[in-house]
Amino acid sequence: MSSSLTRDRNHLKVHRTVLGNGMTVLTVENPTADIVSGRIFIRVGTRYEQAAQAGITHMLMSVLTRGTQQLSSMEIAEQIESVGAGLGTDSATDYSLVNLKTVSNDFSEILNLAADIMRSPSFPESEVELERRLTLQGLRSMQEQPFSIAQRQLRQAMYGDHPYALSALGYEDSIQQLTRTDLETHHQAYFRPDNVVVSIVGRITQEQSIALVEEAFGDWKNPDTARLEPPILPELTPQPQRIITEQDTQQAILILGYLAPPVGSPDYTTLRLINSHLGNGLSSRLFVELREKQGLAYDVSTVFPTRVLPSQFLAYIGTAPMNVAIALAGLRQEVERLCTTSLTDEELQVAKSKYLGQYALGKQTNAQIAQIYGWYETLGTGIHYDEQFQDDFAAVTSEDVQAVANRYFIEPYVSLVGPKEAIGMAE
Amino acid sequence: MTLANLKSRLEQPSFPAEIYTLDNGLTVIFQQTTSPVVAVDVWARAGAIAEPDAWAGIAHFLEHMIFKGTEQLPPGSFDYVIERYGGMTNAATSHDYAHFFINTTATHLPETLPYLAELLLNAAIADEEFDRERDVVLEEIRQAEDDPDWLGFQALSELVFQHHPYGRPILGTPDHLLKLLPEEMRAFHRRHYQPENLTVVIVGDTPRDSTLALVEDLFGSFAPPPPFPDLNIAAEPPIVGIRRSHWQLPRLELARLMLGWIGPGADRLSDAYGLDLLSVVLAGGRSSRLVRELREERHLVQDISSSFSLQRDSSLFTITAWLEPQYLDQVEARIGDCLSELSSTLIPENELNRVKRQLCNDFSFSTETSSQLAGLYGYYSTIAQPEVSVTYPQRIDTLQPEMLQALASQYLSPYHYAAVVLTRAPGNDDI
Repeated sequence: MSSSLTRDRNHLKVHRTVLGNGMTVLTVENPTADIVSGRIFIRVGTRYEQAAQAGITHMLMSVLTRGTQQLSSMEIAEQIESVGAGLGTDSATDYSLVNLKTVSNDFSEILNLAADIMRSPSFPESEVELERRLTLQGLRSMQEQPFSIAQRQLRQAMYGDHPYALSALGYEDSIQQLTRTDLETHHQAYFRPDNVVVSIVGRITQEQSIALVEEAFGDWKNPDTARLEPPILPELTPQPQRIITEQDTQQAILILGYLAPPVGSPDYTTLRLINSHLGNGLSSRLFVELREKQGLAYDVSTVFPTRVLPSQFLAYIGTAPMNVAIALAGLRQEVERLCTTSLTDEELQVAKSKYLGQYALGKQTNAQIAQIYGWYETLGTGIHYDEQFQDDFAAVTSEDVQAVANRYFIEPYVSLVGPKEAIGMAE
Repeated sequence: MTLANLKSRLEQPSFPAEIYTLDNGLTVIFQQTTSPVVAVDVWARAGAIAEPDAWAGIAHFLEHMIFKGTEQLPPGSFDYVIERYGGMTNAATSHDYAHFFINTTATHLPETLPYLAELLLNAAIADEEFDRERDVVLEEIRQAEDDPDWLGFQALSELVFQHHPYGRPILGTPDHLLKLLPEEMRAFHRRHYQPENLTVVIVGDTPRDSTLALVEDLFGSFAPPPPFPDLNIAAEPPIVGIRRSHWQLPRLELARLMLGWIGPGADRLSDAYGLDLLSVVLAGGRSSRLVRELREERHLVQDISSSFSLQRDSSLFTITAWLEPQYLDQVEARIGDCLSELSSTLIPENELNRVKRQLCNDFSFSTETSSQLAGLYGYYSTIAQPEVSVTYPQRIDTLQPEMLQALASQYLSPYHYAAVVLTRAPGNDDI
């Protein structure tokens, strides 16, 4: 096959700098559009939480924009919105984020505001209460979505006491009990320069970026205590089971789950290829076999999140309740087929060019580029992983695929949400 | 304001792409950029408003069937070719349009574009594929029906548009879909996928001459359209009074209050953008009026948003709140007060400037990639003219407080609108 999108690799150079206080700064100059995107990663997320305080990172990140020593929640909002910028926060399983997006001239102002909310949040009591209320409502809203319920019950079954089992938003009990002091303590433990990665991409030179970050964060000092490492966690042993919630929905949601390798492991790359073969795009195996040929679903695919610790590989389908038995058999057959049948050269090649093409297409905007490099740096694989991953991916063989399938696709966990009729068919 | 100042404000920005019309009437829009990603986006005036009543849902179902191949291309071969070359493809259908896009590279364009043209011009709509794909569309409807926000929006559209087909569900209904015949879809396809209804947009780093020649070659000849009854699309009369509809849904955790008003069509773009601006004044961000008061200060809603969707004949302006049911009346009344205020009081200058800057920046943030640009040009080519697609920031900039006040009182009446309320159906699990 001739060259594809991936070989282009954007012609962009990424620079990595570590400031005196240990903060890592990644910069990419991309003059194409008058836009600068920043992603500030903090190494804290669900993975760092205890069940009793589940949801604390999400709550911390939400309250962060609701008051600093200098500014009220409304003053922060007005400062952002009056220059038409984006400044938001997010929390994920392995990390948390402060996102910035501005036209080039406004970047310095918004970066300074980001530094203010990260360094001097004031956690106003009334804003903590408002965020608690919004989070509790958010937890209830998730109950309206059958797919969320199916995913959540599967995660709990697969991870047990491991923090990957926890809901990112927490639980009613844990959210009710979190105090302002808990948030402050959590903030002090993880918000420190040696635990932060700043990634900046856009119409801004490397020198300008570094100077702006220096100005906003350069005098930020690490506390005397050592950085808190996440807890060492017990190994996970698969204990496949069925988890079922009966609900009066139009569609039944069915998910198969297998424990899967973490990012950076050789098996990760191979399973990423399997994910491409089974679930990526309109020519993927599940799409063709279950949707195109059998009309069983509108949405049928796979999910394989990139995680620092053991991940999960999910194959899912939303189907009419009467089709649950045939959909379950079909999903299992397509996944497990890879244990016994090796991919043809053509199938292997398509899985590669498809995913490498989509990988390149996922690096078009400044925000996407800032995300991918900052993310690799934060996860511990380093920025060179962007190229290494693509090279390793291109080198996967069909023997690798079969070996990895046999290692991970043993007996699946099965999660089902749907009406009584559907549940009867999954027995 | 001086005359010179006025002139510069009204000056149209130059359209960055080239526009051609082929001999057969097909519109081609081309822009060479430095992006290695080449986006092709083909827009057809063949959305749900082109459907005869009895065929509701056929436009969207046809979008699915187009991917099912032609006499030359077996089902799935198009997707396979695009993805084998590292590209991606998809499509979408709305009331005013259906569109089909691929993202690829300049090198692969000559290998992939012929497949897209073949699908669009010569869709086979084979009988056996028709039945199978109908099951997929029925699953799509089932999935949508499990989403309360989708159900509420559907109900609101029907309540706002009682004559115009904008009130019709794009997905159709199972009843209608089960009665459709493949020959009816073939007639719909041959009638609407004609050059005068199509715009082919190409954006990216691909050489101009060879790319245009390729398009001309691939989209040059169409089968003649079959006879097809002309549709008379009724203009939607203004809403008189408050139209209400209350739905009780099982499993609903938060109530919804969804309000809708009819806005201007694409022939009155500056008015339309004025309403777009008003939606941000009302609920665009934490410092906007409704979010600030109802969520941040009074804790009456979990969230509140407002949106303006530009449509060719008449647009839709909505305000949606997620809230506890006991606050429904209070929140609706406060929204009414806010609207009265917009038509009685001028928007202060600093607030107006803030909102203008938000909108103009959002516009540049959403024109970063080849596919975003191609989508923008194709959309405006379909509902208005391609050139106006880039006038958005200038038109936003010229909006003045007096004009906005007039627009609010003309379009956003607190006494004439449609209101959908969703609450939880009482059931056994409510004990």
